Amino acid sequence: MCKHDKSKKHLLFPLLLLLVFLPSNLSAVSAEEIIQKMDELATFETSYSTGSIQTKDRFGTKTSTFNAWSQGESDSLIEFTSTAERGQKILRTKGSLYLFYPDAEELIRLQGAALRQSMLGSDISYEDMTEEKNTLDNYKAVLEGTEAFKDTMCYVITLTATTRSVAYPVQKLWIDTENYLVWKAQYSTAQGRLLKEMEVLSTLEAGGRVIASETRIEDKMKRDSHTYMRLDSLEVNPVLDKKIFTLENLTW
Amino acid sequence: MKFIITLAFKNLSRYKRRTSITAVAIAVGLMMYLLVDSILIGAENESMRNLRWYETASARIHAPSYWEDRMLFPMESSIENPDAVLALLDENGWKATARTVFTADMILYSEDFGEDGNMNVLVTAIDPETDNDVFHFSDTLIDGRFLEKGDENGILIGSWFAEDINAKVGYWITLVARGNGGFYEAMDMQIVGILNCPNPNVNRTLLMMDKDTAGYYLGMNQAVTEIDVLLPEHEDIDVEMAKIQAKIEASHLDLEVHSWKELAKDYLAIAEAKRGGTSMILFLVFIIAAVGISNTMLMAMYERTRELGMMRAMGMSDNNIRLAFLIEAGGIGFIGAVFGIVLGLLANLYMVNVGIDFGWMMRDLDMGYRIQSVFRGAWSMSSFIEAFVAGIGLSMIVAWIPISRALKMDIPSCLRHQ
Repeated sequence: MCKHDKSKKHLLFPLLLLLVFLPSNLSAVSAEEIIQKMDELATFETSYSTGSIQTKDRFGTKTSTFNAWSQGESDSLIEFTSTAERGQKILRTKGSLYLFYPDAEELIRLQGAALRQSMLGSDISYEDMTEEKNTLDNYKAVLEGTEAFKDTMCYVITLTATTRSVAYPVQKLWIDTENYLVWKAQYSTAQGRLLKEMEVLSTLEAGGRVIASETRIEDKMKRDSHTYMRLDSLEVNPVLDKKIFTLENLTW
Repeated sequence: MKFIITLAFKNLSRYKRRTSITAVAIAVGLMMYLLVDSILIGAENESMRNLRWYETASARIHAPSYWEDRMLFPMESSIENPDAVLALLDENGWKATARTVFTADMILYSEDFGEDGNMNVLVTAIDPETDNDVFHFSDTLIDGRFLEKGDENGILIGSWFAEDINAKVGYWITLVARGNGGFYEAMDMQIVGILNCPNPNVNRTLLMMDKDTAGYYLGMNQAVTEIDVLLPEHEDIDVEMAKIQAKIEASHLDLEVHSWKELAKDYLAIAEAKRGGTSMILFLVFIIAAVGISNTMLMAMYERTRELGMMRAMGMSDNNIRLAFLIEAGGIGFIGAVFGIVLGLLANLYMVNVGIDFGWMMRDLDMGYRIQSVFRGAWSMSSFIEAFVAGIGLSMIVAWIPISRALKMDIPSCLRHQ
């Protein structure tokens, strides 16, 4: 009896220690800090990448390949290289998004409601591309806890929109506790209706960071509607010509 | 002169068979012309009416920033205080209703529709209590019920649209739309009624729900995207528009009024172009009628060359002969025109009141007219006058040629003419 009590006391001490330290370990990082870190790690000073967007719906599968250049948070250029869209370019500068269609030799500036249109029929809108990496300006973050996702420990964070000017009123993110990569995201309406789900299928390391190299975005409202985004190569901090992100370059 | 007129009229009664055949040819030709003219005018009038009754109303009020982006249906450019505008319009005797128009992705489920699917749709959110003051949708209900104020899940669908997607009353759909500001929202709606709208463009795409329900889901906070106004048909639209705009400005409301002519600018431009084609059709109908009349008149005059030669041999002057024959031709034309007008009146009576059902053709063919099935005629006094004058004038003109030719021949040749 006494021996049993003794062994209980032995167990109680580490348990108490765990109870005392576990919450402090969890709360060591706040939801806001996690989101800030996530935003920081999502941008590079400059980058050059090649990849593809594969859209699968009930009509079939379509693949578009692209080359992309980016600079800081706001400047990016995507040039499509697949046969159907060859030469089409999307230029994003601070607050503006331009499309260039080589066949029509036409330059279109997208703004307002036009940004909500789907890009090449995928589950990604132009607006998703213009999104600034300042999540906390538009969302209130709550850390729900930690959860393993594909054997990786993740922070589970719920973002609730504080403004109506964002596409998804509620987002639930699974963020890697070590490298702050968003492994999974669920996008819902204010009423809690799940609209889209994003999942990282594979990663690559570049510039000391872990980046999603293959992502699946699934439209949960439509059966069999997926978009796969693949990065085939990523060059971090290359020296880029400043003219790349100009309208003049877009029409060449 | 009296003798010439008497001679001409005696000739009319002397050759009864020829006169009747020629007059019938003229009458049928003119009737055809009047019929085609009536259908074309009727189609245009009904198209314009259906445009105003089911699409544009007489005039529409928008927030100033809405017009530029109207093809994108921006929710952000809305009328913040529609009640104030509606009250202002009501005070001044204009009937009006508030609407919110938005685009959505419509999700269909296999449980109801047999297979899953989705499509982009345009949804019109209406105030069921006032919408029928301006539009005429409640008259077109063929199945189920009309919307009620505050209908939480009810949606109406056009009958052709319902046929295309195999929708029935009671089926559920989900609308995924972007709300005021840009956020996504999903609405589960049940089809409560099917409308057979006479405007084919509307009937192919119509989805209608309650404005308050849409406002709740889309975060409109009582705002609407448009206010539609009904103006009396006989009023000058531009004058009324100026009055409405003046009242709005006097009330310090930052809004713009657009007439149905501005709203349907593309349709009207096509209609204008089509009017050229319509004139061509009428011209061709006229030519066909004219050829028929000419042929009969030519035959009638040629067979009387010997008679003409005999009159010349007896000393009647060429001018008097020409005049007598022209009056005779005019007389035939007059009889034909009178019968043509009577036949045209009878045919038009049917066309105006009953019409011809082209629904089988209009279902899959967009001819640009805002008419779904029955094409009705319209009364046009000017067309009847034109047809009457043309019937007489044309007969006299075509008679001129064989008469002149016969008068150029020598008398023996005329007498020997077979």
